[in-house]
Amino acid sequence: MDDQKHLEHEQNKPEDAERSTENPEEMKQSEENSTEMKIAEKKEIEPKKPEVPKKKLEKGPTKKRASIGKGSILVEPIKRRSFFSWLTLAWVAFTAATGTFFGMMLRFMFPNVLFEPKQTFKAGYPDDYTIGEVTTSLKEKYGVWIIRDTEHIYALSVVCTHLGCTPNWLQNERKFKCPCHGSGFRKSGINFEGPAPRPLERYKIVLADDGQILIDKTKKFAYEKGQWSDSESYLVV
Amino acid sequence: MDLIKSVINTLASPTILFTLIIVTFFFIFPLNDWFYRWNKRLKLDSFWTNRGGIKMFIILLVFFAFGLFDENFRLIVLKPDNVPIVGLIFLVAFFTWLSMKQAVDNDVHIENNENVNEYSDPDDKVLTWPDLVYIELIALVLCTVLLIVWSIGLQAPLEEPANPTLSPNPAKAPWYFLGLQEMLVYFDPWIAGVLFPSLMIVGLMAIPYLDTNKKGVGYYSFKQRMMAVSLYMFGWLVLWVLLIIIGTFLRGPNWNFFGPFEYWDLHKLQPLTNINLSEYVYIIWFSTGMPDNILLREIWGILLILGYFLILPPLFAKTWLKNLYNRLGNFRYSVFIILILFALSMPIKMYLRWMVNLKYIVAIPEYFFNI
Amino acid sequence: MSKSEKKKKESILLRLGNSQVWKSIIRSGVPRDRRGRMLSVLNSVFLHLHPVRMPKHAVKLKYTWCMGGLSFYIFLVLTITGILLMFYYRPTIEYAYTDMIDLREQVPLGIMREIHRWGAHLMVITVWLHMFRVFMTGSYKSPREFNWVVGVMLLTLTLLLSFTGYLLPWDQLAIWAITVGTNMARATPFLGHEGPGAALLSIGDINLVHAGSDVRFALLGGRFVGEAALLRFYVLHCIGLPFIIVIFMAVHFWRIRKDGGISTPL
Repeated sequence: MDDQKHLEHEQNKPEDAERSTENPEEMKQSEENSTEMKIAEKKEIEPKKPEVPKKKLEKGPTKKRASIGKGSILVEPIKRRSFFSWLTLAWVAFTAATGTFFGMMLRFMFPNVLFEPKQTFKAGYPDDYTIGEVTTSLKEKYGVWIIRDTEHIYALSVVCTHLGCTPNWLQNERKFKCPCHGSGFRKSGINFEGPAPRPLERYKIVLADDGQILIDKTKKFAYEKGQWSDSESYLVV
Repeated sequence: MDLIKSVINTLASPTILFTLIIVTFFFIFPLNDWFYRWNKRLKLDSFWTNRGGIKMFIILLVFFAFGLFDENFRLIVLKPDNVPIVGLIFLVAFFTWLSMKQAVDNDVHIENNENVNEYSDPDDKVLTWPDLVYIELIALVLCTVLLIVWSIGLQAPLEEPANPTLSPNPAKAPWYFLGLQEMLVYFDPWIAGVLFPSLMIVGLMAIPYLDTNKKGVGYYSFKQRMMAVSLYMFGWLVLWVLLIIIGTFLRGPNWNFFGPFEYWDLHKLQPLTNINLSEYVYIIWFSTGMPDNILLREIWGILLILGYFLILPPLFAKTWLKNLYNRLGNFRYSVFIILILFALSMPIKMYLRWMVNLKYIVAIPEYFFNI
Repeated sequence: MSKSEKKKKESILLRLGNSQVWKSIIRSGVPRDRRGRMLSVLNSVFLHLHPVRMPKHAVKLKYTWCMGGLSFYIFLVLTITGILLMFYYRPTIEYAYTDMIDLREQVPLGIMREIHRWGAHLMVITVWLHMFRVFMTGSYKSPREFNWVVGVMLLTLTLLLSFTGYLLPWDQLAIWAITVGTNMARATPFLGHEGPGAALLSIGDINLVHAGSDVRFALLGGRFVGEAALLRFYVLHCIGLPFIIVIFMAVHFWRIRKDGGISTPL
């Protein structure tokens, strides 16, 4: 019954109730919550003058800590006795252990075995390719263009040297054009427009025993390193 | 109709569009008192009134409504993944207006030594429950409704299954990275893809440590922090949002430029033969042929870059950034000016590419080092 | 309703509010007066992100735009829809794309993916606008500098989350965006095999940094965007990055209060 009366009292005179919460003396009479309430009220007051109490708080503990450090017997004698203290050793050990741990995590991201499609394949006979044309039929399956000019056959990588998109061969304009950022390459693979920094790469191309063309994508030849003169980078026909 | 379209198409060509925007930008968002006076004289601050806002909104709306009658424009705008960008344009315009309106309003109050609009008596606070909690609830409900309606109305985009050997044409990054993709056209990947994004993050983080101006906390204001606001606006509106818009609306097949109402012709021919600075120097100017030594070949570009980053900062510090230098001190000024120079290198390189087809200032593809 | 009936009804509500069960859940009971309202914020683990009282301008939409709160809310929506999507989605080249179609056509109420995707776009926008608001009100200035830094981290993480999620449908849009994105990593100075300086890191003839040992490889788990890349991005998207962003968010919210609450004019 008392409770109900109390509630009614609060309802009927809301202003009174409000005052009661803000008056510390009456707070004692109410329930457990009242202590928390006081804290709340204090918190509310603090931000009005945030600077003064904060500074005091900051100064207080640091002074104390400093005095503890000076007075401690443990640190100074050891420093005098040995070149490195146990503390240094502990820190070094800790750093080394943490470093190793992160190193292991990093190494974990590089597996030893990769499951990738086969990188060498046979691409038919040299006579399958017309002189002066770019063969795009192998692009989808193997990711190469095979180009035959008057003397050579070479295999161009279909990966744009800018950011790895796949350029398209535009028959009318006689160029490779990358749709991502507009790099253009000539039939030889030399870059001439757009942001590509260097020519397309060529793959290793040799004749297999059965007379077919054998292309090995694991070996690449870059023009700017002068590797296009390497005898494996083209096939003499 | 066609005349208007062709006029807009011409205006949208990068050189004209970018020049127009860069020239007008700092009159709209003045950097210093000189610009500010012109801003007042040209009455450009009338953007930030109710009437100006409504006018801007109507212009934007009319443009999009007009554009929807055009087939090419419709194709771009109604692509599901581009819907957020149209939303972004309206939202950015609205919130820029809203913040600037309040800022200009407060500037007047400050000039008259009055309290700013946000000021209220520190003792006269409102309760979080219910005043704030209910507003949050309503915002959440509205947001949820928006999301559900959007999701029912528009299917999430799903293209053909992945095919590693066939790049779509044009191949675009997610729209919020189109600014980066645009940069990739002008810079080597290690600059546009690694250095610039890192610098953007670092630069944003550095803002509170570089801006030593104590004024303007807790209320919208412009005049008190003119330079900070205008620079931020430049970075955010021009170097980020505008590049996204360009990437969305103006970049077509083969990453060529197209006007917003132009047909995306797969075979549009744009001669883009680009020339390195070293080739300009040795082949066109000296006509001697390229030297074999890499360092000798690229020395001009390297000198140019070093000059840009080593000579310009002290030069500015002595001349028209003198006040700023005195205010910020050595270290803050250096960080600030380097960040600004990096940001400016972006439009500079874009212009060089458009005007003289310059490819790289320093080109050492042998070591993957191109600038 | 007569007066007595009304009184009776109220007293039922009141009794409910005073019952042991209710009070055990919500200590302070039904917030009816000033004290109750303050306690309801103070005693709730969720609401006490907010201070009990705040300056008048802090509750005005015109000032806050509500963008920070909405960003957090959309993050929660994305978490929930993301968990739901994980029930159906398998991160393999064989199934990823078909699972996407199934999500649209075979699963009842098939707009979860839409909500997730559009929500992700919306979150990017709200985070940008939140940052814009904080800048325009000068709220990054002392003593809130560090919280701005944390905010920039959150922005970056939001973009990364969005980016990693982009690969998962395994459609044309996905793999080319990711191909372009990760090829930038290939050009990282010293760490990528086509970045400046990589050629200098070698012992004798052996290059230390090559296609099988650079940052791009660590991201993709292979030399191409393939099966391993899909799995890695999936794990990063669902567990790795959310784990990190939640930590940063906790710091962000905590620091708002510790740095003096919402910014106010002096």
